[in-house]
Amino acid sequence: MSTFEMVAAGLALAGAVIFAAGVIAILIATQRRPYNTELAPIKGSPAQGVLWAFTLGMAPWAKESGRIHWIAYIRGVIVHLGIFVGAAYLIATPWLAQMPEPLRFSLAALFVVGTLLGLAGFWIRMADPTMRLLSTPDDYCSLALVTLFLASAAMSAYAMKYLPAFWAISGITMAYTPFGKLRHFIYFFYDRVFLGLAFGRRNALK
Amino acid sequence: MLDKLVDRRVLASLEVCVRCGICTESCHYYRSNPKTEHTPYYRAEQVRRVYRQFLDPVGRTFPGWFGAKATTDEALPKLAEIAFASCTLCHRCTFECPFGVETAEIMRVMRSVATATGHAPEMLVELANAAIARGENPDFFRDFYIEQVKELEREVQDRLGSSKAQIPVGQEGVRILYVPLSGAHTIVPQAILFNVARESWTLSMFEVANYAVFLGDTDKAKRIAKRITKEAELLKVKEVVCTECGHGYPTMRWEAPKWFGHTFPFRVRSILEVLDEYVRDGVLHLSPAKNGQPVTYHDACNLGRKGGLYEEPRRVIRAVASDFREMTPNRLHSFCCGAGSGLVAVPEWTDIRLQAGKIKADQIRRTGAKVVTTSCDNCRYQIGELSEHYGLNIEVSGLSELAVKALS
Repeated sequence: MSTFEMVAAGLALAGAVIFAAGVIAILIATQRRPYNTELAPIKGSPAQGVLWAFTLGMAPWAKESGRIHWIAYIRGVIVHLGIFVGAAYLIATPWLAQMPEPLRFSLAALFVVGTLLGLAGFWIRMADPTMRLLSTPDDYCSLALVTLFLASAAMSAYAMKYLPAFWAISGITMAYTPFGKLRHFIYFFYDRVFLGLAFGRRNALK
Repeated sequence: MLDKLVDRRVLASLEVCVRCGICTESCHYYRSNPKTEHTPYYRAEQVRRVYRQFLDPVGRTFPGWFGAKATTDEALPKLAEIAFASCTLCHRCTFECPFGVETAEIMRVMRSVATATGHAPEMLVELANAAIARGENPDFFRDFYIEQVKELEREVQDRLGSSKAQIPVGQEGVRILYVPLSGAHTIVPQAILFNVARESWTLSMFEVANYAVFLGDTDKAKRIAKRITKEAELLKVKEVVCTECGHGYPTMRWEAPKWFGHTFPFRVRSILEVLDEYVRDGVLHLSPAKNGQPVTYHDACNLGRKGGLYEEPRRVIRAVASDFREMTPNRLHSFCCGAGSGLVAVPEWTDIRLQAGKIKADQIRRTGAKVVTTSCDNCRYQIGELSEHYGLNIEVSGLSELAVKALS
């Protein structure tokens, strides 16, 4: 391992530690907040509500907004798919040499598409006056980090010499995640569960 | 104060938004007047920036980077106006958002802050205080109230052609404590139906409206609800039935048990559920042909999306009207009438709510209906005004009235 590779691997590990510690801190802080337990006798099913919240309730075709903003929806789905696959790919990179070439190239293709759609995110954010007004530096930084993450993942899947760059960028991205907008991935699960519980018990999800 | 108000559910909604703008067209304000201030994520973001300043250590440390913003004397009235006049807490955007951000809950927190700091609309505060005063001095109102009820009882007897028809008040041990609003239209039709169904019931001394809910003032809201729970316990009724009131039903059914910290020893239902039961059991002899004009139904946000009452009113309408036409979209995706959550009570906001109701007016027009039925008094008033403002030429009716017209 070269010095550059060692530094990059060290950055990735440090980023992973900060990420894990940050996520745990967020979970503790969130759990400390009060939760108003529903006490009224139920009319529907909270469990079915949660199931709905993670299935049909997320289906773009079941929402008017999904039909109006179908490009943004598809973009979001592909970028997030790229990020999740990229995270799994990061864990697998120590064994990258053993990965079959067709799989690596397929992954590279997915990450390239993710990168392009990540870049499109800048255009979307800056082109819409309301989004531009409401965007903070954190929004642009977060978008830049995930786009770089996907781009470096694509490069490393295509040619292993770029693996240290991917590690380094992954480390920085992971370290930043608990502090900025990227932490929304934790609250996504909270929000969907609360939605499913609250409206499922009222039998309102039809 | 903000710290106490931000529970886990509100925190999740504050944190999960990525400002993607997909919610934009879900709001009736935006659809009727497309501008930045009318987007759900703009509204929520104004409160989110305050949250970041006060409750998010990272945001507080790097305010410029994360968009944290302190509240100032100038900012508070603007935030209060956003929370009270620019959002009807209808929750429609929640179900159009990919994440399910509950902007309405964020706005409710902002309403609480505005109320506590003296920035709430005076009219809503006065209405809430009046309800509390009535609860504290029931004897002062009792005689006058009973006298008024006797007059309504005579009207019921005339319409039924029976001197045996009654509107009982304060009767112990009956099945239903029926809680109306202040207005004969929420007493007479229901009394007719109860008498025809030979129901065991009594009329509440109080009204189900709870304006403190609109203020986000839980202490006052609890005191207002307490009047009814206390009366129900004293009379040993089996259930409390709320009249056709949008916020009254979900308040008593879903919210009040949380405030009191326990379930009630009686069931809470909406009159819609009772009418649905009557139709199912065949205790009312109804003739749909008596309501032959095209009828459409407006899903009040509080009853439908937030109360889970979608099919009950529809089953009743099909039993009492021969030409029922759905608005599109409806049920979970129904648009607010534009006057929810207290807007209708504040005269200064008339223009705002009439403009925000344009999409509802367009929906009604597309159905070709001549009668719009809805089970929320606010919606009913608003749709009546929308009819005048947009030339809809429709009649607005409660469901109980429609059922009375269909009695054979």
